[in-house]
Amino acid sequence: MQIPVEWYLVLSAFLFVIGATGVLVRRNLFIVLFSIELMMNAVNLNLVAFSRLHENLIGQNFVLFTMTVAAAEAAVGLAILTSLFRNRKTLMVDTFDLMKG
Amino acid sequence: MADKFVFIMFAALAVIGALGVITRSNIVHGLILLVFTFLNVAGIFLLTQAYFLAVIQVLVYAGAILVLFAFVVMFLNLREFQQLEQLHPKQKWVVLVLAPLMLAEFIFVVTGATYASVGGGLSPEVIAERGGNVQVLGEVLFGEMLLPFEIASLILLVGMVGAILLAHKEGGSENRLREWGEGEEPTSAFVEQEV
Repeated sequence: MQIPVEWYLVLSAFLFVIGATGVLVRRNLFIVLFSIELMMNAVNLNLVAFSRLHENLIGQNFVLFTMTVAAAEAAVGLAILTSLFRNRKTLMVDTFDLMKG
Repeated sequence: MADKFVFIMFAALAVIGALGVITRSNIVHGLILLVFTFLNVAGIFLLTQAYFLAVIQVLVYAGAILVLFAFVVMFLNLREFQQLEQLHPKQKWVVLVLAPLMLAEFIFVVTGATYASVGGGLSPEVIAERGGNVQVLGEVLFGEMLLPFEIASLILLVGMVGAILLAHKEGGSENRLREWGEGEEPTSAFVEQEV
């Protein structure tokens, strides 16, 4: 028996909103990066659910590419984080306001 | 019926883990809860017959990416940040109003629409007949998705070079590995200060 696709979409909506909330309210740069990963996972869930619904595997292949981008993003994000921490000795995102007008 | 029960269980645990990630002030706890969430999502992938992706989720996400995060968490000294204010002082009120609104909107739109299957022909029975999930996924990946696949390798290369460039310490000779003579090994306090 197949699970209705709406269930996946609702779960994905929950995870995405939690991730978005994390990005917007938390000051710690690490938690912001975690939340971005969470949002990407929510999108992956949708792709897999629709891949199952439409009975082709393009969606599942797309998840592989999303994971590639997530891996590259995590590497670059952590590199930026370490160099920020080295220069500013803090990780609270609202202290990085050098480009604020 | 059992499928739906297992789905709800995984979904509930994933949401609880995700809520934990954004509420813990200890980053290591947040990281472990994130791994927990990803493992639950991998369970849902298994339930959807996306077996290869479930394995990749555990290996790449819960394994590689989060271990990378764990490494960085471990070698930066982050204990002092736990005492600081964790939330944006004004922004949080706006978000606490807007986030439930956004969730309600998502759920309203998602449950209101109807979803008709296109019927691509690759039902689980057909996939099993043609050699299983990994076989068919690989055929699609190296067939019609070949160009995106090659571009993905380029993204990884750029990400790798970018990460090395960004994390590289500026300056020349004083950053070279220092050599220690006899009887002058560094104490841990000195290393702490240097870092």
